[in-house]
Amino acid sequence: MKHAWLGCLCFLGSLLFAGPQDSDSNVNARYTVETVVVSGKGWTANLQSDTTDKISTGLRHQLIAIIGQKLNPPILDTLAQNLKKELSAREVTHRIVRGEIPEQVRVEFEVRPARASVGMNVNQFLYDSRQGWSGSGEADLTLQQHTFALGLVSNGDWLPERFSGIVARYEDKSVGTDRLSFKFEAESFHSQWNLATVAAMTANPQDVPGLYRSRLAFQPAATIVLAKPLTLTLGARVERFENEGPASEFESANALTATLHYHQSFEGANQQDLDADCSLHASSRLLNSDYVYSLRSGGVRYQFRNGKHIVTDNAWAGFISGRAPLSDRFVLGNTYYLRGWNKYEIDPLGGNRAVHNSVEYHYGAFQAFYDCGAIWDEGEPIVARHSVGLGVRESIFSLAVAVPMRSGRMEPIFMMGILP
Amino acid sequence: MPEPSRGLQISRRCWLLASLVAPLFPARGAADPLIVTFDGDNLHVSSLGLHFLQGKSLSRLKGGSTVEYVVTVSLFRDQFVTQFKRAEGHFLVSYDVWGAGDVFAVSTPGPPPRKAANLSQSATETWCLESMSVASVGIAPDRQFWLQLDLRALPPKLSSVLGESKISVDLIEVLTPGAEERQTSRTGPLRLVDLVRTPRKGRAG
Repeated sequence: MKHAWLGCLCFLGSLLFAGPQDSDSNVNARYTVETVVVSGKGWTANLQSDTTDKISTGLRHQLIAIIGQKLNPPILDTLAQNLKKELSAREVTHRIVRGEIPEQVRVEFEVRPARASVGMNVNQFLYDSRQGWSGSGEADLTLQQHTFALGLVSNGDWLPERFSGIVARYEDKSVGTDRLSFKFEAESFHSQWNLATVAAMTANPQDVPGLYRSRLAFQPAATIVLAKPLTLTLGARVERFENEGPASEFESANALTATLHYHQSFEGANQQDLDADCSLHASSRLLNSDYVYSLRSGGVRYQFRNGKHIVTDNAWAGFISGRAPLSDRFVLGNTYYLRGWNKYEIDPLGGNRAVHNSVEYHYGAFQAFYDCGAIWDEGEPIVARHSVGLGVRESIFSLAVAVPMRSGRMEPIFMMGILP
Repeated sequence: MPEPSRGLQISRRCWLLASLVAPLFPARGAADPLIVTFDGDNLHVSSLGLHFLQGKSLSRLKGGSTVEYVVTVSLFRDQFVTQFKRAEGHFLVSYDVWGAGDVFAVSTPGPPPRKAANLSQSATETWCLESMSVASVGIAPDRQFWLQLDLRALPPKLSSVLGESKISVDLIEVLTPGAEERQTSRTGPLRLVDLVRTPRKGRAG
């Protein structure tokens, strides 16, 4: 494990300290960018004067940022790649043409739509010094707006269990209209339990549902754009658990789900992003479910960006009434919530009430964060916990150390990889 | 012992003679328009009719991109089977969109790094070829050898695999990369004693 650490550190180091690409080799680097034009099949947008909903605010911001600057050809390659990924295009080429004013140039990106693409994705890859490695990857095939994906997952971070298995997904990004999309996911996982969880279960056999050996879930969902940027996702989750024990016993948790999501960006001298969502899972006997419960959660994330300074606040709370399976109970003390704490120490069975807030500050590659939160079961006393951490982030890779704030001893937790 | 330097006039005559004589010898010149000269230390290659700023790479250049060309000169003991010397040069070419007419800039990372600007298309090609040389050390003056010149325009780099929150590889792009534009010219047999002598240029590949 020590050597894996060293290898990853070297890899991260090479990313951090890689030299910039030489833009001096291009004679046009001495000219100033007058404007940026992006065009696709049947649409063209001059980003200096036009607005377009084809490109996300973040990417539009990146594209506009080069206007008025000296031309940097390597950045054009990066922007073309970002456009290609965001628009799922077959190819995005760029060309430089003379601007209207001498010594100024216009950058033109041409987007060629993809009929089909085949890809391999690593969606998650992280190491936590307490929970070990977690990762997920998938292969996908995209034909126009249809995506088929098949992936592998092993995750010891997110839930009270370590779950490993396969995920299959079908997605139609535009069902008749761009305002409606459809997704169907199927998951089959084998579950492994930490000794702390097994011990807690043995000590409190009646308080929470039992451990299970494996679970199988099917989840269809449709997302409707109610009024941009407000979307509503309606769906169902049909899940079957094979319980632990000498004899195979199965239980089901069938629920209807609904999520409202809102995203708004504010541009000006600074960039501000606001994300808010609330969701409801309702499981009932009417749905032939052995577990009867409702899960409500909501969160708000606000980000303020000024040059290299980024401040983010992320607040979230969740509430479960009834008897939910362990996989639906809340967990704090992982690489996302209450970083630095060990989830098996806080609540090895998870909780049915949780509240959390995280404040992060980034300056370039460096980050500092402060997390606070509480997790408990109904009727239990609420204990607030705090943690602080420092880290570096380059591209999508992060390396962070988080320390739980408690009296007596200091036990930092190291995290690295593709962190949230 | 250094070769006595020859005057520029003689060199020009040699070039003129070579350019006139080359088309008369199909085995050496017409099919592979290479002119090989010797400055006493190094072999130099030039060409009358070889153009590599063309096709897709020229379109990329005129779109404002930098295109990397790789020039390789290889010497063979026999008819292009046993290679015994090789020199490789990398040239970064770009097209000046605000230039007066079709003008290009070229640079080579070296060592030492060199660059030139405001060159016409053919002057850019000549600059790249003239920057190439192969040391003649170890080649007996009367020994026969064959020379091969390879010119490659490297395709655009593949997309970065790093997304905003995940690593993605486009398999179609990886498995069907843009084809390299490549040209190969050959000449031989040659002998140092037969080659046109030019003034010493100094840089050995």
